[in-house]
Amino acid sequence: MPTINLNRERFCKFLGRDITVQEMAKQLPWIGFDIEEVGQDYVKVEFNPNRVDFCSYAGVARALKGFMGWETGLPKYEVNPGKTVLFIDEAVSGVRPYMLAAVVRNVKLDEDGIVDLMEMQEDLHWGVGRDRRKASIGVHNLDVVESPFTFTAVEPNSVRFVPLDKTDEMSLSEILEKHEKGKAYRHLVDWAEKYPLLVDRDGKVLSMPPVINGELTRVSSRTRNLFLDITGTDHRAVEKGLHVLATALADMGGEIESVKVRYPDHSVVSPDLTPEKMRLRVAYANEMVGLRLSEKQVIECLERCRLGARKVGEGIVEVAVPAYRIDVLHEVDLVEEVAIGYGYQRLKPTFPRSVTIGQEQQAHRLANVVRKIMTGVGFTEVMNFTLTNERWHYEMMRRKPKNIIEIANPVSAEYSIARQELLPGLMKNLMDNKHESFPQRLFEVSDVMHINMGLETRCERLLHVAAVSSHATANFTETKSYAEALLANLGLKRWDIKAAEHQSFLEGRTAAVYVRSKRIGLLGEVHPEALNNFELDNPVSAFEINLEEIV
Amino acid sequence: MVELRENERKTLLAIERLGGKASVEQITNESGLPDSTIMRAALALQEKKLLKTLEKKQTIIELNDEGKLHAKQGLPERHLINALIKLGGKAPIEKTVENAKLERRFVPIALGWLRRKNWAALDTKTTMLQLLEKPEKEGADEKLLKLLNEKGQAISEDLSPELQSAVQILKRRKLLEIDEKTKRVIEITEAGWKRIRRGIKVISEVTQLTPELIITEKWRRTKLRKFDVTAPGPTIYPAKIHPLQQIIQRAREIFLEMGFTEIRGPLIETAFWNFDALFQPQDHPAREMMDTFYLANPKAGGLPKKSLVDAVAKTHEDGWTTGSKGWGYKWSHEEAQRLVLRTHTTSETIKYLSKHKTPPTKVFSVDRVYRNEKVTYIHTAEFHQIEGIVVDKHVTLRDLMGTLKTFYSRFGLRKVQFWPCYFPYTEPSAQAVFYVPKLKHWIELCGMGMFRPEVLAPMGIKYPVLAWGGGLERLAMIELGLDDIRALYGNSLNWIRRTQMCRR
Repeated sequence: MPTINLNRERFCKFLGRDITVQEMAKQLPWIGFDIEEVGQDYVKVEFNPNRVDFCSYAGVARALKGFMGWETGLPKYEVNPGKTVLFIDEAVSGVRPYMLAAVVRNVKLDEDGIVDLMEMQEDLHWGVGRDRRKASIGVHNLDVVESPFTFTAVEPNSVRFVPLDKTDEMSLSEILEKHEKGKAYRHLVDWAEKYPLLVDRDGKVLSMPPVINGELTRVSSRTRNLFLDITGTDHRAVEKGLHVLATALADMGGEIESVKVRYPDHSVVSPDLTPEKMRLRVAYANEMVGLRLSEKQVIECLERCRLGARKVGEGIVEVAVPAYRIDVLHEVDLVEEVAIGYGYQRLKPTFPRSVTIGQEQQAHRLANVVRKIMTGVGFTEVMNFTLTNERWHYEMMRRKPKNIIEIANPVSAEYSIARQELLPGLMKNLMDNKHESFPQRLFEVSDVMHINMGLETRCERLLHVAAVSSHATANFTETKSYAEALLANLGLKRWDIKAAEHQSFLEGRTAAVYVRSKRIGLLGEVHPEALNNFELDNPVSAFEINLEEIV
Repeated sequence: MVELRENERKTLLAIERLGGKASVEQITNESGLPDSTIMRAALALQEKKLLKTLEKKQTIIELNDEGKLHAKQGLPERHLINALIKLGGKAPIEKTVENAKLERRFVPIALGWLRRKNWAALDTKTTMLQLLEKPEKEGADEKLLKLLNEKGQAISEDLSPELQSAVQILKRRKLLEIDEKTKRVIEITEAGWKRIRRGIKVISEVTQLTPELIITEKWRRTKLRKFDVTAPGPTIYPAKIHPLQQIIQRAREIFLEMGFTEIRGPLIETAFWNFDALFQPQDHPAREMMDTFYLANPKAGGLPKKSLVDAVAKTHEDGWTTGSKGWGYKWSHEEAQRLVLRTHTTSETIKYLSKHKTPPTKVFSVDRVYRNEKVTYIHTAEFHQIEGIVVDKHVTLRDLMGTLKTFYSRFGLRKVQFWPCYFPYTEPSAQAVFYVPKLKHWIELCGMGMFRPEVLAPMGIKYPVLAWGGGLERLAMIELGLDDIRALYGNSLNWIRRTQMCRR
């Protein structure tokens, strides 16, 4: 999740009043921030990706001022009409079809402001842009380029310019080959015949969206007038990204000015910061949250969340949602705003009056009976992961992998398949506990997974129990007795034990367990080669039973 | 009068026979009792102030290699003086050395000791060696060499004064290995002697009451040894249900006590039930490869009935009939069919709710889920999720808070707050946080909220759904006082054996 480090002094400037770090840490959670760290003069907070408008000091201050009641209701943003024009060339429609822009004049960015702006861009690239795929942003020094601008697409080798942080001109394909950002984001354009490019009246390059800006329009603390470009494949993401950025810059003292964006077949004036109007039923909000608020109170709550609200009918409130909010999809989202505005801290917990009777799952109930029997006969329970790998699961047990459930993208090679049996895990437990006193008797009653193409999930979850006994005289008879003690105490009247063969067990000391002529388990003395593989010194006798037939 | 046990009596009498002072070894030989028995008896007698232990220093001496050589061949100065005597008491040094058949390296040593023992003098001008007095046949140093050569070692303090002085000489000549030890000697105290004078009879005592003694009633005539009931016995570790499992069971019990019904579903799910049915857009970061385990084999599963799938698809695309805007993208069947290791148990919950639509419904699970993460002290790739669901006609966000407060208070967590939070499938949403005084920090316990209309409508659910889900391991770590989550799955027998049973 994205974080923002709020320096107290700087934050207070945005708030327009003084507040201590303790007070910040106390109040910010109630509007949706997680407190990561509280320092001498700063608070580091984490925010949810649905509130990208929290990615700047301006955004946090705007929300906190509302919650504290210092400044409530819809924030007003003026968009002055401007003369800047942006042409969208037909050529971009196949690679990056959308672009919007805005001009922000008379900004005064200090070093902190520049950092703030850069971090804001990063958060927007992640939160709205899905790592620049849906939308990406460029911020430029307007004063070094000339309107009209053109967003076009060109042959990879036809244009050269100096990319950000470099001194030499590079062609577009060289940027994708050599530049760090080029390498990181080439997958977003390199499949196209022509690459997107933003140029000014004279063909000067502002940026190569979504990869890199030009050095020419670099923003510094001396920059006064900004040109914001935002391009992408998802119109809504492009629009919301622009609104978040433009409003934050306005809160930082800038004046927003519109840009005429000319698509081949239509034109728009950007940014359009008109709040969206939605309706909220007061009764719906009260039912969900469990309150009895009047229309007036609901309006107050919404205003604390920086929404505009007015009564438009009996029990109906019209809500104006500011343009920077990306998270309001449905009336229910306004219900949460009412709850936050009211204050989660003020919501008194109640207990639902629903009368129900509890019941547990058969499989878990059975597993608990197995636990009682196995601990009763002196076995200690272990809990292993259900994920493992071929070496530990098969090779060490002298087995060949068969019908494995395999993971496509394991983060660690340790966990690349789902276990089919419990026994290999128990052998590993014995290995890890070699230095502890003997006898060691361990069991596990848990899930294994097998392929079953007849199911919607193509795999099934099976409840197994397995037990190992390890000491100097562990043998077949012992494990057979334990297995039978388990079966008998589970209430089975009849089962058969027949000689069997299995790579993990010693020949002539292996048996299979049958219930109603269905094979449900295996028992025997573990093969000495497996013991060597697990570096065990004592013999091990073991059994494993599939409990699904018994549930 | 203090009561003495059989072995205490025997030990005391053995020391008396040994003159009132003896080592454990001596007492063992005298009494015929094993070492450990004597040690235990002596300790008890010492507590009863009848014995005391003296610590005595012992210097054990042994010959080193050079010492052994001299013991066998004689000291070099002895060789030289014998040769000189044979040469008539006065002879050139070269000649004497030659006759003595002395190794070159020993010549300076031999000459030095000739002078020191005052056996002969060397005229440095003439290099003539002159006998001074006839040496005694065997000096004290030679006696000690002989003794050590025969016995291998000796205790310095036990030797005669003469030999003890020789120890110093041989030590200076670097012919000895010396090892100092402290030896314990047990001595009868004044009170001990008094007790002995009063008379000690050895009566045979029985330690174990046997079937034979009971059946024959011989126990009536037998003295049953009295035990020191305060003496520690060997530690016993009961066979045990795994500590984490005990906490899982406790969580399940609390749910059952609160009237919830348990549900259980597959560990491997289609992305449809794990994500799509919960209104998580197909490009949601949580669905990326870094967070979710996708299967390579088998790769894709099936989807439920078409009407349900279509409703979910439409809701994602434009909100369908829910009044929502939807996510505004083209929904893909293939993406929904991908098989994943479920990232939460909510996949089962929504499936259950789609089939059980008549309220009230209260269901829970405490079950296994997966996250494609590197195993560290705070993360494991698989863990258990606690999940609870309440569906009824008029349930509210406040009801959810109350249900959670009750649940966690049974685990002793009373300082719980609810902060606003975000999840794609709930609105309003919150997280329950718990204050850890040690860290001076609030820690997340679980996420919670009411299912969104976009989740409910495609499933045909008409009533509000309260839901919460959180990690069980976090709770287990608080309960068991662990800092490292891996300990829960390390299966260290030592840890399992020593961890107390859950009594919450």
